[in-house]
Amino acid sequence: MNPTGSLCANNWARSSSLVPPGNGLQTNLSLDPSSFFGVGIETPFKEINQPSPTQCVIPGESKKDVKITDQETSKLQDWDPSAMLNNLSFLEEKIHQLQDVVHMIVNKKFQPFEQPRELVTQEQQLITADLTSIIVQLISTAGSLLPSVRNTVANTSPLIGQLSQLRGINLPFGTGTSSGIQPQNNCENKLFDHSIQNDVPNKCEMEQNHNMEEHEHKDEEDMEEGENLPPGSYEILQLEKEEILAPHTHFCTICGKGFKRDANLRMHMRGHGDEYKTPAALAKPHKETGSEPKLIKRYSCPYGGCKRNKDHKKFQPLKTILCVKNHYKRTHCDKSYTCSRCHTKKFSVIADLKTHEKHCGKDKWLCSCGTTFSRKDKLFGHIALFQGHTPAIPLEENKGLAEPPDRCDAKENSTMVGSMNFCFGSNPSSENGIDNMMDVKGNIDDPINYFSSLNFEGCNFGAFNEFSQPPFEDSDSSFSFLMSGSFNYAPKSGGESCSDNL
Amino acid sequence: MLSESVFCLLTEDLLIRILDRVNSDRKSLRLVCKEFHRVESTTRKTIRILRIEFLLGLLQKYCNIESLDLSVCPRIDDGAVSVLLSHGSVNWTRRIKRLVLSRATGLGYVGLEMLIRACPLLEAVDVSHCCGYGDREASALSCAVRLKELNMDKCLGVTDIGLAKIAVGCSKLESLSLKWCLEISDLGIDLLSKKCLELKFLDVSYLKVTSESLRSIASLLKLEVFIMVGCYLVDDVGLRFLEKGCPLLKAIDVSRCNCVSPSGLLSVISGHEGLEQMDARYCLSELSAPLINGLKNLNHLNIIRINGVRVSDFILQIIGTNCKSLVELGLSKCIGVTNMGIMQVVSGCGNLKTLDLTCCRSITDVAISTIANSCPNLACLKLESCDMVTEVGLYQLGLSCLMLEELDLTDCSGVNDIALKYISRCSELVRLKLGLCTNISDIGLAHIACNCTKLTELDLYRCVRIGDDGLAALATGCNKLTMLNLSYCNRMTDTGLKCISNLGELSDLELRAIPNITSIGIKAVAINCKRLANLDLKHCEKINDSGFWALAFYAQNLLQINMSYCNVSDHVLCLLMSNLKRLQDAKLVHLTNVTVQGLELALRSCCGRIKKVKLQSSLRFSISSEILETFNARGCKIRWD
Repeated sequence: MNPTGSLCANNWARSSSLVPPGNGLQTNLSLDPSSFFGVGIETPFKEINQPSPTQCVIPGESKKDVKITDQETSKLQDWDPSAMLNNLSFLEEKIHQLQDVVHMIVNKKFQPFEQPRELVTQEQQLITADLTSIIVQLISTAGSLLPSVRNTVANTSPLIGQLSQLRGINLPFGTGTSSGIQPQNNCENKLFDHSIQNDVPNKCEMEQNHNMEEHEHKDEEDMEEGENLPPGSYEILQLEKEEILAPHTHFCTICGKGFKRDANLRMHMRGHGDEYKTPAALAKPHKETGSEPKLIKRYSCPYGGCKRNKDHKKFQPLKTILCVKNHYKRTHCDKSYTCSRCHTKKFSVIADLKTHEKHCGKDKWLCSCGTTFSRKDKLFGHIALFQGHTPAIPLEENKGLAEPPDRCDAKENSTMVGSMNFCFGSNPSSENGIDNMMDVKGNIDDPINYFSSLNFEGCNFGAFNEFSQPPFEDSDSSFSFLMSGSFNYAPKSGGESCSDNL
Repeated sequence: MLSESVFCLLTEDLLIRILDRVNSDRKSLRLVCKEFHRVESTTRKTIRILRIEFLLGLLQKYCNIESLDLSVCPRIDDGAVSVLLSHGSVNWTRRIKRLVLSRATGLGYVGLEMLIRACPLLEAVDVSHCCGYGDREASALSCAVRLKELNMDKCLGVTDIGLAKIAVGCSKLESLSLKWCLEISDLGIDLLSKKCLELKFLDVSYLKVTSESLRSIASLLKLEVFIMVGCYLVDDVGLRFLEKGCPLLKAIDVSRCNCVSPSGLLSVISGHEGLEQMDARYCLSELSAPLINGLKNLNHLNIIRINGVRVSDFILQIIGTNCKSLVELGLSKCIGVTNMGIMQVVSGCGNLKTLDLTCCRSITDVAISTIANSCPNLACLKLESCDMVTEVGLYQLGLSCLMLEELDLTDCSGVNDIALKYISRCSELVRLKLGLCTNISDIGLAHIACNCTKLTELDLYRCVRIGDDGLAALATGCNKLTMLNLSYCNRMTDTGLKCISNLGELSDLELRAIPNITSIGIKAVAINCKRLANLDLKHCEKINDSGFWALAFYAQNLLQINMSYCNVSDHVLCLLMSNLKRLQDAKLVHLTNVTVQGLELALRSCCGRIKKVKLQSSLRFSISSEILETFNARGCKIRWD
C-alpha cells in the first residue's frame, strides 16, 4: 500500500521473533480456561498506557506485582542480562522506526494537496498500534528487570529474603517472626487507607452487602463440604495479603511474563528455546513421591480479627487457596470493578462482576430504598419484610423500553466493538481502509497474539474484557481490541476502570 | 311572611330533623325558605356535582361537605384540580372523607395526588372504571394514609407494583375492590394480606390469581366479605386454605370459578358457621348432598345464589328444611327446578324476600301461588322467561304479596291485561319489567298506572300493543317514573311522547326504533324532562335536525345519548355536541347525513369533556389521527362498531 504499511509489517515480524508462533501461544492460553475467571487481580488498562516502566509502580496493585515477582523469581534464581539487552535493543530500533514513520507523515503534511481523510486515520491507527506494542514490550522488559533489583535488596537483608522465600513455598506460617511481617503490615495499612478513601457511600451499599454475604456463604459452603475437622488434624497455612492479591505467581525469567500456573509457564518456556522443550523441563519439577502421610491443608485469612483468621476464637478455616483469594478480596478489599452497564454495582472479584453482568439490566424491580432485584417475587419479599418500603415506579413508563437509556448506550458500545469487523465490511466509504486493516491483520497475526496473551496474563485490559465475553479466544477479538483502541472505545471505558481504582 | 317567622322560631336541630323527614323534597324547601337554606348549607354532608362550572361555588356554599362525588362531572382533569385547590381558601378539602372519582378518566396521577394530599381526612375513594389508571395513579392513591375504603374496579393498568404501593401506604384499609384489575397476581395479593390486616371486604373478581392467593388471604383475621367471581385459576386447594383462615368470614362469592367443586365449597362452609351469604353462580355443575347437608349448620345463612346449577327436588327440599332463615334465594337458570321443588323450598323458607327464578321455564301458576301464600314478605320476584306463568298465578301474588317492590315478567308470554290488573294490587311496586310481553295493551297498562303510583322503573321493551293511550295513563298515574323503556313500541306517536314529557322525574328514556316519533315529540321531552340524562334514539329515523336542535338547547342534563342511524346534519350534530355540557357518552354510528369533516368538528367541540364515543369502524382511518390521539390523552375511550 504505502511505506508506512510495510514498515509496520516489518516491525511486527521482528517482534514476533521474540515469542513462539502465535498458534502455540494460542493453545497455551486455551489450555488454561480458568485463568480468565481466576482470582488474579487484573491491572487496569491505564497502566498499559504508561509511557515508561518506572511509572508503572504508582498504584497499589503494581507495587504488589513487584513484590510477588520478587518472591517468585528468587526461586528461579538468575535472570538473563543478554536477553534483556536483546529486548532493549529491539525496543530502541522499534522506536526509531516509529520515529521515521512519524517523520514521513510530518513531511507529507507539506505536500500541496490535501490527504484523503481515510489515509490520515489509517496512519493514526498504525502509530497507535505500534506505540501500544512498544509500551507492552517495555512493561514486560521491566517485569524481568525489576525482580533483580529487588533481589539485591533482599540480599542485603537476608532475614526478609528468607522469609519471603519461605512464604513462596507455602510453609506453615507459624514460623514467621513479627519483625519479618512488619513491613508488609505497613503496606497493608496503606492499602486500606486507600480503600477507605475509595469507599464512596452509595445507595446500593446494602445490596452489595447482601452480595458479600452471599459470597461468604458460598465460601462457607465450600468449607463445609470438607467436613468439620477437629483442630490440629490439619495444617494451617496463611498466605500473605500480597500473595493473595497477586495476579500471577509464576514468572518467566526471560521475558518476565506472569502466569497463574506453573504448567502454563513451562508451556510458555518452550518458546524461549529448545532447551525448554525437553521432557525433563516440561515435567513437573518436584513431584513428591514421599510416602509420609500428608496433613490436610487448610487456609487462614491474614486479616486480623476475621473469622477466617487463625487467631479468631471461632476460627473457620478456608478450604483452598481459591477460597482464600475470593474471601480476602470480597471481604477485605474495596470493590474496584464497577459494572459497565449499571455503573452502580461494584465487585472486588472479577468473576463476580462477570456473573453480575450476565444479569445486569434485568434488575428492573426497584424498591424505594434503592435496592434492585432481578425477580419480582424477591422485591415483594423485601417489601413484605421492611416497614415502609414500597416498590419504585420508573420515571419513564415506556413499556417498549425495558432498559433505561444509559444501559442501552453501554450495550451499544460493547456490541459496536464486538462487531467492528463487520462494520468495516459494510462501510463502503473507507474501502481503502478495509484493505489496510486486513493487510495489517494478516501481517501482525502473531504479535497480536503476543499482545493479547500479555494483556491477558500480565496487565489485563480491564476494559477490553468487558467487550468480548470469550476473551482472546481468537485473534479476531484481539484485533477488535486494537481497533477499538484506535477508535477510542477502549480508552473510554479503560478510563472508567481507572477512576474506579483511584 | 308568617311562615318564615314560624321557622325562625324553631331551633336549628329541629329544622335539621324536619329536613331529614322530607328527604325527597329538600330542594323545594331550601329554595323557598331562608332558614332551611341556611340549615341545609351547614348540615349537608354529601354533594354530587353535575357541572364543573358550579363546583367551586357549591363547595364554598356547603362548607361541611364530607362526601364529594365527581363521577358524572365532566372536565375533571389535572388542570381543573389544580385550579380548585389553588383557589383562595381551600377549606373545603379539610373535611372531605369520601371522594367519588368513578369514571373520572381525565384526571391523571398528578391531579389525583394533589387532590388526595389536600384531603387529610380522606377515608374512602372510588376510582372505579378509570380504565387508564395504572401504578402511578395507585401510587397517588397510596398518599391517603387514613384510607379505609377503596374501589379500583377496572383500573386496568394497576399491577402488583401499584397494589404494593397501596398496601404499604394505606395500611388501615378495610374495604378494597380490585375487580378487573387484570394485571394483579398472587404476589400483590400476598403482600396485601401481609400489610393490610384490617381488611373486612375484599373483591378480587376476575383476577388471574391462583390458590396461592387464598393461602395469603386466609391470614386476614378480620375479613368478613370475600368475593372472587371468575377466578378461574382457583381450585379446591385454595378454598381449603379458607377453611382454617378468616374466622369472621360472613360472605363468600365463588361465582364463575370453574375449578371449584362442591367439596371445596364444603370445606369453606364447615370452617365458618357464621356464614351469612354464599354465592356459587355458574361454577358448580351440581350441588352435592354433603354440601347441602353442610348448610344445615349455618344458622345465619341468609342468602344463597346458585344460578346455573343443576338441582333436584330433593336438593331444594333439603335447602327448604335446613335454611329456615333464608332471605334471598337465587335459582336463575338452574336446571331441574320444578313446581314441586319450589313448593318444598318456599314452604320451609317463609322469610324469603328475594326469589330469582329467571329462566326456570318449567314452573307454572301452581308454584307462583305457593310462593305467594308462603312468602308474604316477598319484595322481589324474578320470573323472566317463565312462559307458563299466567294471570292465575299472578292473581295470588297480587292478593298475598303486598310488599312486592320488584317484579320481573320479561318475556312471560302468559302475561296479559288481566294479569296486569291483578299485579296492580301490589301498590308498593317500584320496578316492573314487562319487556317482550306482547299480549299486554293500553288497558293493562292503565291498571298499573292507576294503582302503582310508586313505580320508578318500567320496562315496556317490545310491548308492541302499547299505544299512546296507555302512555297517557302512565304519565298521569306514575309520575315518579325515572326510567322508562319504550323501545320498539312501534305504535306510539308524538302524542304519546308528549304525554311522557309530563314525567318530570324522568332521567332514562329509551325510544329505540320507534318509527312514528318526530322532532315535535322529542322537543316536548327535551323541554319538559329537565332531569333527562340518558336518551336512546337509535333508529328513530323521522327525527330531524329540529328535534336534535331542541335537545341541544334544552336537555342540558343529558349524560348519554344514542343517536346512531338518525338523520342529523353536520351542523346540528356539532351544535349538540358542543352545547350539551354534561354529555359523557355518545353513540354516533351510521349518521348518514354527517360527513367525516362534520364528525371531526363535532368531536373537537366536545373533546376534553366527553368520556366515551362509539363510532363506525369504517371511519377508523378517515378521522384524523390527531383527534384520536387527543381523545386518548384526555382519557376518552373510542369504541369502534
